[in-house]
Amino acid sequence: MLSNIEKIIFIIIALGAFGLSYVTFGKMFKAISVGSNPIDWKRALLNFPKGLQVFISQRTLFKTRPVIGFIHALIAWGFTFYLIVNMVDVLYGFIPGFHFFPNHLIGKTYRIFVDTFTVLVLIGVIYFLIRRFILNDNRLIINKPVMLSEEARVGMRNDSLLVGLFIFLHVGARFLSASFEIAKNGSDAFQPAATIISLLWSDVSQENVILLEHITWWIALGLILGFLPYFPFTKHAHLFMGPLNYMVKDERSSMAAIETINFEDDSIDQYGAGQINQLPQSQLLDAYACIQCSRCQDACPAYETGKELSPSALEINKRYFLNNHLDEFIDGSIPDAAITDLMLTDEAAWSCTTCGYCVEVCPVGNEPMLDILRARQDLVMMESKFPQEAMETFDKIENYGNPWGLSPQEREVWMDGRDVPLMREKKEAEVLYWAGCAGAYDSRGKEISQAVVDVLKEAEVDFASLGNEETCTGDSARRIGNEYLFQAMAEKNLETFGKYKFKKIVTQCPHCFTTLKNDYSELGADLEVVHHSQFIGQLVSDGKISPKAWLDEDVTYHDACYLGRHNDEYDAPRDVIQSIMKDGNLKEMEQSREESFCCGAGGGNMWYEIKTGERINHNRFKQAAETGATTVATACNFCNIMMEDGMKVTGNDEKMKVMDIAELVSKSL
Amino acid sequence: MIINQKYMKIAVLVKQVIGSESALEISSDQKWIDESNATFVMNPPDNYAIEEAMQIKEKLGDGEVVIVSMGPQRVQKVIREGLSKGADRGIHIETQESKNIDPLEVAKNICHSIEQENFDLILSGLQSDDTGMGQTGVLIGELLNMSTATLAIETDIDQETIKVKRELESGWFQWVTLDSPSSVSIQSGINQPRYPSLKGIMGAKKKEIKVIAASIEDSKQNLDKIFVPQKSKETEVIDTDVDASVDRIVDILRSEIKAF
Repeated sequence: MLSNIEKIIFIIIALGAFGLSYVTFGKMFKAISVGSNPIDWKRALLNFPKGLQVFISQRTLFKTRPVIGFIHALIAWGFTFYLIVNMVDVLYGFIPGFHFFPNHLIGKTYRIFVDTFTVLVLIGVIYFLIRRFILNDNRLIINKPVMLSEEARVGMRNDSLLVGLFIFLHVGARFLSASFEIAKNGSDAFQPAATIISLLWSDVSQENVILLEHITWWIALGLILGFLPYFPFTKHAHLFMGPLNYMVKDERSSMAAIETINFEDDSIDQYGAGQINQLPQSQLLDAYACIQCSRCQDACPAYETGKELSPSALEINKRYFLNNHLDEFIDGSIPDAAITDLMLTDEAAWSCTTCGYCVEVCPVGNEPMLDILRARQDLVMMESKFPQEAMETFDKIENYGNPWGLSPQEREVWMDGRDVPLMREKKEAEVLYWAGCAGAYDSRGKEISQAVVDVLKEAEVDFASLGNEETCTGDSARRIGNEYLFQAMAEKNLETFGKYKFKKIVTQCPHCFTTLKNDYSELGADLEVVHHSQFIGQLVSDGKISPKAWLDEDVTYHDACYLGRHNDEYDAPRDVIQSIMKDGNLKEMEQSREESFCCGAGGGNMWYEIKTGERINHNRFKQAAETGATTVATACNFCNIMMEDGMKVTGNDEKMKVMDIAELVSKSL
Repeated sequence: MIINQKYMKIAVLVKQVIGSESALEISSDQKWIDESNATFVMNPPDNYAIEEAMQIKEKLGDGEVVIVSMGPQRVQKVIREGLSKGADRGIHIETQESKNIDPLEVAKNICHSIEQENFDLILSGLQSDDTGMGQTGVLIGELLNMSTATLAIETDIDQETIKVKRELESGWFQWVTLDSPSSVSIQSGINQPRYPSLKGIMGAKKKEIKVIAASIEDSKQNLDKIFVPQKSKETEVIDTDVDASVDRIVDILRSEIKAF
């Protein structure tokens, strides 16, 4: 099809585009390599099937917004298919009379696919452009008071327009080119859409049809060549970087269990990340993988209640900072790239409840929560700049071994009148029952501990408590960023564990649960830790207890983030509730399971207050009340406290109650 | 105001006390608290003295802050705490046993240990959370012939003079100017004490703590007995008409509870 001059020009442009792309892609990877914690590229390569699987299945897009996810899948599949199409088109241009298996089934299938996908991609992309630029879908907007840099604000808009127009023009031109080809050579039953369009050209002279075919061919393929080097600067890079992100992802025992710091190592002079270049490489990659869909902020408890945090804005700010200061960032000449100036505000960093929603739903595997955890480590351990109440909490944990700051000698008060076996007397037991600080000091927490013990006794479980020997696991300290205090607490507890013999730890606190199970394992501990929902469920299914089905009212269960998203346990508490359900029903809230909305206490937020916006727990309790259920079941002490408060403030305390699942079960024994 | 760089040598007196939330059981001889289950913390008012010292040093641009504490081996924990907040070194006047010593004896020991240091300023917390005498800083000031002030809620230190704002009764304040050297006790709440950075915590491990043996002579003041105040419960039922009830409640609030 092409003339010789056209072929030469095309080859020159193609070589130039590939050369330039080599440079720009190289820069992107250089920027990523500025970060700390080098990516293990060998391991990433071995994970290729994982990345490919995510890309092909598009499964990560269906977690939330399934309809939009489907439209995206059409674009993604169509666009990938277009790689083959583009190659075929190049061959068509270069080899006179070339057609791709014109009369073979392969060729026919190919053409019908191209034709259909072209239409679907065009519809999809037009919808997305309308959604972003005309409908102004609220979910794509980042509201105040979140900090969004001016470069990001401008960049986002231009980027979306550029990517949208690129796809539209490329696919559109390709489509027109096909229609001109049909106008030239006659209709094709296997390209019905292009054939219909070709009817428009019936009055155009053959000469002009050929000219137009050339022009549209050049637009379609020229756009690809022109866009290729520009790829790393647009969010379209997510096409590669998204799947790649799944390949380089660190294996973590749970989503908030970041790597431990070796405080004995004198060569470490930075704890956490204060500057963007101190972030791990995989988290710089996050910025390039982000497509700015803002799914992460849909149920971010901070964002949804009007606080300064949006995980999406954090990634977007990071991305446009890198785009706009790429060379200085790579050569290290940038004087200051403070995370809390450029990516998010200090207050935003403290607003995160580490609920993990953003990590759970991100289609490209980003982990904005980890940026925040690392920024907090810097603020706490390097800058000593954090909420005053958190400082008091640290002192209380350090001095008294619990964040309430109550006497370590009063840990056994909740046991009064219950004859709870103690490890210091028994030395050995099948189960070490861990009440946790809330379970020992909070008034409702104590009742929950009592209920757990009643259940254990009823099931004749061989258990013992550490009593006054128990001390805070360090969960809050770690999430707030005080890794040093966390490790000190872990050391104390592990030392105590070493004194006794037990097979497993059972606890009703998901924060203790995840810390003992996952965070301590990062320190080398090997503990079998079971959440009380799992343990009670097991007791029921083993027939060790036979609770009566007595619940004759509707119950709604509030998922604890650290049990659900952080440890993938959604069913055990629900099963326990079902086992005692008589006439009532288990009703799900508007957001539940993987998409559950946090109570607001996690990540240390139990201990300090962010005054901006609404209260998270009030919002969550409203969702509970909307189900019409009269009992809100919880499986976490913190959730219990927050939901009770929410219940009182929303004026529901006369008609509703908040109960831990252990209490519901113990009532039926 | 332009501050010329001035080197100021500051001592901060720090005491380790039993934490307010700790288990408080009276020892069998009834002379002190049974310390076997006690949690020891830095005397909370002393935190403000350390912070004030650090702020003065930072404001002047140069100087040295020395944490001084007296007591058994365990008090080194609070000295380290002060060092991790940025103090330069520590002096530990070590006693052999953990017992209550009267303020004059403490002051004499501290004077003896720090006399050669020639501090420009000695800061102490308002009082200790255990015995609450509030005398040590003043006594040391007197013994070392320094000017003294108590209950400082603001300090203004420049080249020559030390000015402090003192809190008086009933919301009155007083600015006093002191000749250097001086010993000042700091009112709690004067500043916001910092939390040590990890760099500070790590650095503190390497800082010097000089240990000096205490020599306790006969105490001029002896603790006879400590006891838990007798709790008694008295319930008054006000069962009259509304006006009389209100009068009685106002009377209780005014004269018994002294709410206003």
